[in-house]
Amino acid sequence: MALSFFDQFMSPNFLGIPLIAMAIALPWTLYPTPSTRWLSNRLLTLQNWSINRFTQQLLLPLNQEGHKWAALLASLMIFLLSLNMLGLLPYTFTPTTQLSLNLGLAVPLWLATVIIGMRNRPTHALGHLLPEGTPSLLIPILIIIETISLLIRPIALGVRLTANLTAGHLLIQLIATASFVLLPLMPTVAVLTTALLFLLTLLEVAVAMIQAYVFVLLLSLYLQENV
Amino acid sequence: MGGHDAGSQHQFTGIAKYFNSYTITGRRNCVLATYASLVAIALFFKLKPKKQAAVTEK
Repeated sequence: MALSFFDQFMSPNFLGIPLIAMAIALPWTLYPTPSTRWLSNRLLTLQNWSINRFTQQLLLPLNQEGHKWAALLASLMIFLLSLNMLGLLPYTFTPTTQLSLNLGLAVPLWLATVIIGMRNRPTHALGHLLPEGTPSLLIPILIIIETISLLIRPIALGVRLTANLTAGHLLIQLIATASFVLLPLMPTVAVLTTALLFLLTLLEVAVAMIQAYVFVLLLSLYLQENV
Repeated sequence: MGGHDAGSQHQFTGIAKYFNSYTITGRRNCVLATYASLVAIALFFKLKPKKQAAVTEK
């Protein structure tokens, strides 16, 4: 069977068992569990400090009601970050390249923010669909545009993460293949391509972290508007 | 970033008191009116009786 460049994105199955479940669940085992000791070890202290610092920074613009989302947003960040980073290792499968997973995260969480806004502060939630100071003639058009932009948000959230990770993985595979193929033909060009591959890998590490952060940040912004 | 408008500095009269783009209630009413208009237009076209084609005798 000839391999194509898109085979890396196929959800792996082994004897009928979907391995994506394992790919999603296993990163949890990499993190140290909280201990009952009064003073934790260095690794656990570092983990606790970084999660607390991140959560504190993320919740700064949110009011007291929004702080109820602290555990959800922090765990979502750790989840996406670990899935993205582990996917950069060779021969690993990245679950966040699957649109189904990303939409499965984005749509319910976005819908939750909208429902919270409509339920608790319906006037503000509806009023946000018309920017302040709009000229009278533009009011209907702008309301339609704002409604469309509201409905597009979950799709944009999911597709942004999928597209960034898929494109990155594809680029890595393409440039690695080019570097490998060029090695016997034009070694100098192959070395330059390998240097480019190294820089691209660094970029993909950054993209993996940034995209996880952007997903969580945008959700917190949508929550801020509605809570 | 636009903050909450208390609306006290805007003295609207007539229909502008309820439909304006400055107070939060005015904006809400504009949004609801736009949605109601769209639903009314959709219902009009959906429930409009279709004209039967005239049967011509040959």
